[in-house]
Amino acid sequence: MNTTCSPSTCTPATSGVTESLRKPIYNVNGNADAYEVRVELPGVPKSSVKLDIEENILTVRGERSSTVPEGMKALHRELSPLSYLLRLRLNTPVNEDQMTAKLEDGVLTLRLPLKEVAKPRQIPVL
Amino acid sequence: MKIIRTHPFSINRVSGLDEWFRHPLAGLPSLSSFISNLGEVFPGVAGDKLAVDVHEDKDSYFASFEVPGVKKEDVKIELNNGLLTISAEKRQKDGEKESSFSLTRSVSVPDGVNTEAISAKLEDGILTVTLPKQERSKPRSITLN
Repeated sequence: MNTTCSPSTCTPATSGVTESLRKPIYNVNGNADAYEVRVELPGVPKSSVKLDIEENILTVRGERSSTVPEGMKALHRELSPLSYLLRLRLNTPVNEDQMTAKLEDGVLTLRLPLKEVAKPRQIPVL
Repeated sequence: MKIIRTHPFSINRVSGLDEWFRHPLAGLPSLSSFISNLGEVFPGVAGDKLAVDVHEDKDSYFASFEVPGVKKEDVKIELNNGLLTISAEKRQKDGEKESSFSLTRSVSVPDGVNTEAISAKLEDGILTVTLPKQERSKPRSITLN
């Protein structure tokens, strides 16, 4: 899997509306069966996470609701209110139907099982 | 798309509230700027300092910290001499490897906070500490006779 994305794969498609997004902190681990992607999405509730895979590009979007509830005055700001967007190009066939995602304590964990054809295979010597 | 560079660890944007957020090492400018700059070199790992937002409504102050991946039992909140210290231990498991690092931040508690009633909750990786104001520091209207 290509974990570093070139500017062309990172830039979201703009559909006429200007939107400010930022890339979350993430890491990718893998073994012979699956890849595991951890994405930090603090402040994003489960219902605001959108995931999809299209043409080998995995897209993770996390809408962050404003950290300032109605009627409150902000005294000091360091956290960014921007929503998250992460796009990763997959260079290995992934079994999309068995993909699982879990959001816990602001961290999204994705498990992407590899397709059989992509798994290492032992060839017996006859 | 617009790219906005954020400097979560620069505390220059809001002036007048410096008293609140003075870093313990603020008196040593070179050292404190070194610590702030770490955040730009290693975003996220960020000089072991937690970023904070502070809000207020008429009843309370709210301090929010970003702590993704931190479990409830790994957060420690301490109040000592008017200084509220949050420490969070972040544990990460990557296959067989396990790593952990701790993040801390101290915030001075303003006068007029009912320190007995401070509460905290952790939700979606955001830790919110509620500091209720004492009755007397709430605005009060005085009726004319």
